[in-house]
Amino acid sequence: MNERMDPAPTSSGKATASSSSGPPDAAAGGGMPTEFPAGLRVLLVDDDATCLKIIEMMLRKCHYDVTTCSCAATALSMLRERKGWFDLVLSDVYMPDMDGFKLLERIGLEMDLPVIMMSADDHKDVVMKGVTHGAVDYLIKPVRIEPLKNIWQHVVRKKRFELKELEHSGSLEENERESERHKRAMEEGDNATSGCGENLKNIKRKKEGKEEDEQDVDEQADPSQTKKPRVVWSSELHQQFVTAVNQLGIDKAVPKKILELMKVAGLTRENVASHLQKYRLYLRRLSVPQHQDRLDGPFTSAQEATFRSVGTVDGFDLQALAVSGQLLPQNLSALSSGSRRVTNTGLRMPVFDQMGFLNSGNASSTRSASVQQMNRGLGYFSGFSNSMESRQLGQSHQLVEPYGNMCLQVGEEISGLLNLPSPQTTRSSLPGGISNEQVNRSLIMHRSQQGQQFSLSQQHENFHGQPFPRGQIFNGIGGHDSRLSSKFGHQISPNDISSHISGRTANIAQTPMPGNHISASYSSVPQALYANNIHDSCLTESAASHYPLASSIGDTPTTGNVEALSNTSSLKGVTDLSNCNIYSELRQNKTQDWKLETVNISYQSGQNLAPKQNNADFGSSLVAHQDSIATIQDESSRNTCTVRKEILSVTTEIEHEKIECVAQCNSTILVENSIRLKSESMPDIKHQEVLYDNIISNDLMDVGKQQQEGIGQDDPEFFDAYSLENIPM
Amino acid sequence: MVLHISSALTASALHPLLCFCFHNTYPEMENASGLHRQLASMKKNLFDQGYLDEQFYQLEELQDESSPNFVEEVVTLFFRDSSRSMANIDEALQQCPRDFHRLDKFLHRLKGSASSIGAAKMKNECTRLREFCSEENLDGCLRSFQKVKNDHTILRQKLENYLQLLRQVGPVDRASRSGS
Repeated sequence: MNERMDPAPTSSGKATASSSSGPPDAAAGGGMPTEFPAGLRVLLVDDDATCLKIIEMMLRKCHYDVTTCSCAATALSMLRERKGWFDLVLSDVYMPDMDGFKLLERIGLEMDLPVIMMSADDHKDVVMKGVTHGAVDYLIKPVRIEPLKNIWQHVVRKKRFELKELEHSGSLEENERESERHKRAMEEGDNATSGCGENLKNIKRKKEGKEEDEQDVDEQADPSQTKKPRVVWSSELHQQFVTAVNQLGIDKAVPKKILELMKVAGLTRENVASHLQKYRLYLRRLSVPQHQDRLDGPFTSAQEATFRSVGTVDGFDLQALAVSGQLLPQNLSALSSGSRRVTNTGLRMPVFDQMGFLNSGNASSTRSASVQQMNRGLGYFSGFSNSMESRQLGQSHQLVEPYGNMCLQVGEEISGLLNLPSPQTTRSSLPGGISNEQVNRSLIMHRSQQGQQFSLSQQHENFHGQPFPRGQIFNGIGGHDSRLSSKFGHQISPNDISSHISGRTANIAQTPMPGNHISASYSSVPQALYANNIHDSCLTESAASHYPLASSIGDTPTTGNVEALSNTSSLKGVTDLSNCNIYSELRQNKTQDWKLETVNISYQSGQNLAPKQNNADFGSSLVAHQDSIATIQDESSRNTCTVRKEILSVTTEIEHEKIECVAQCNSTILVENSIRLKSESMPDIKHQEVLYDNIISNDLMDVGKQQQEGIGQDDPEFFDAYSLENIPM
Repeated sequence: MVLHISSALTASALHPLLCFCFHNTYPEMENASGLHRQLASMKKNLFDQGYLDEQFYQLEELQDESSPNFVEEVVTLFFRDSSRSMANIDEALQQCPRDFHRLDKFLHRLKGSASSIGAAKMKNECTRLREFCSEENLDGCLRSFQKVKNDHTILRQKLENYLQLLRQVGPVDRASRSGS
């Protein structure tokens, strides 16, 4: 049973004191109560109703602001929806739908919140597992109120740690950079991030100064003063990071060298080290197939809302994907671009435009063109195209970018694509933003590793053996896109990549089409899509959400773009479309190197890029099928071309549709099959649906946009997951 | 027993005074003290016999003006949930082939709930049952589970009585109840 308590401070019974002190900020992360730790926002997750009730009451007695949840999937979606709202998570270990440790990992990676585990099981190995997975504490049931009174220490400790890291890295510069980034993000329409980031920063500062009773107002006004903001791993930064890591080789990457390669002022070795750790975890996770089925689905949708994950995830995933060659280059690019900031609605459009562009072209040149267009359109991803250019992907990057923005559900998608033939697909469908993210991230990470190793060859067949010269369009999702793509580009030699990707996709989608696999991953790799005809399978998979378009992209280089577009469309629905498109493309072009890595592209829609349907499907499938990522697999049958076109239209639709319309759109999203929109997890499922519906009606794009906007908030998270900043305080 | 009688006597002797002091506008005050005692002894009984442990005190601590029936709500919830759990366990034990892994999951959950409300006997028996389960000792499981069921039934009955009395005693006695 899911019991949701209204998180508003005033609603909680006991925590009246705290709530009254700070006016809740509805946007993100509410106001900070002055009487810390009173008002600490805790998310409690436990499937046992009795325990839930008891612990909730205890927390209330401690004057905390409690939100309860009896299902892990819901918890994740809540966390993704309200970025920066929660300060701490208390979770049970044994839950029916998801392993508590997995949840723990996810939260740590995506939101970077302190998590306390609870269990009646007090065996040392279980407790050890909790510790190694990153839990800040482990409570044995029956839980008493005394230890609960002290849980706030974990929140403070974490924040202090982050601040310290910032300090080490030359606080002033960092602060400036942070604020700059924030501003940039804001300008780019990354409202969520900036808002959240700001908020977080403020909150963090507030928390820090809680003891001293600092004024909230002042802090908010001046973000870069006093406390040093923690490092925000924006997509660009992440892209650089991934590039550096890939250059060094994932095994040999040490923080010091990475730092040197990155040449980012103000960044400390510690920042890099912790980020690397997360990245590794992410990659590791990518290589674990099928787990995420369930998780991804719900999460992906959640993800959508929060494109944030897209951003970061995209970056990661795309790269990973790209690298591993799993993602079709096109996908990757698509993903990365799309996902990156899908939330940035603005991007969406460009992507779509690009997509159209893509459709037109088919050779890489076209792709690049389209990509570029997309890139341009996206604007957002300006950063990455450069790097991408340099790499083979070059073009794809561009494409990817747009896709990245498309909220590639990078993580999910990519992972979906990359790793699992089928599981991935589910993952890719990542309707929930988060799941995608994760998937993407993991995918990317995984991919990057792979990329390095070029295990592509094995995957070869998956990818339709696309040589995919394009290389890795893995434009990383969003910000990362460029980085990713470039990374991938390198990593994945077209052929390799494609094979790699295909290999992955095979896993993922097990679909006949390699492209399908990619779909999963493509969230991150919109590029991949372009590059090749998209390994449809890939695309569809990851795209599920993203790529309705993707599928189409798969076919031609342009498709890649399409995917990117779709991927990037954070539009929940849109992404699927893009995915779909991509897939279709993928399918067609085996060679598509879907570096779906862009999986991150939070294509929410589980990009089910149902390759088959590509276009038509997208609309509907996207929404409806959040989890239909698998459908993408069908791609082979679909012609990417058609898909593409549709995707484009869809994307446009989505864009226009924007969530509001979405509602009406009703899930007719074309991507029927592949878009695996994990409806359940996606908070914006309806958006997606709407989006998808429109796919045909070409409102997809709109919708996507809307969604993104709506979801927007989450977008910033993309990096938030990685950035410490996320600690919602 | 003797103790009770004497305390009863004392109480009755002091009764007028008590009533006086506690603004004994409550006619049921006299009854209340009797009930109160009863309640106290019942509770003591539960603890002595090991049906409840100190976790139960934690629950009582959580009860206050804003949630005056907390204990009752939680206990009710527990019995409802645990009955379902036990039915699942029963079924799991019956089915062939026995899925001990699945059974363990149910047991873990049951143990968690039981421990959360302070149902000591049940919790302990659950632990033993889990051990049998991990050894895949079906016979041991069945025997142990039978005990769990018994404990469950008895505890349910006792707690129902206790809660009923608690309701009768009313809010006035809440504070003193905890004390006694």
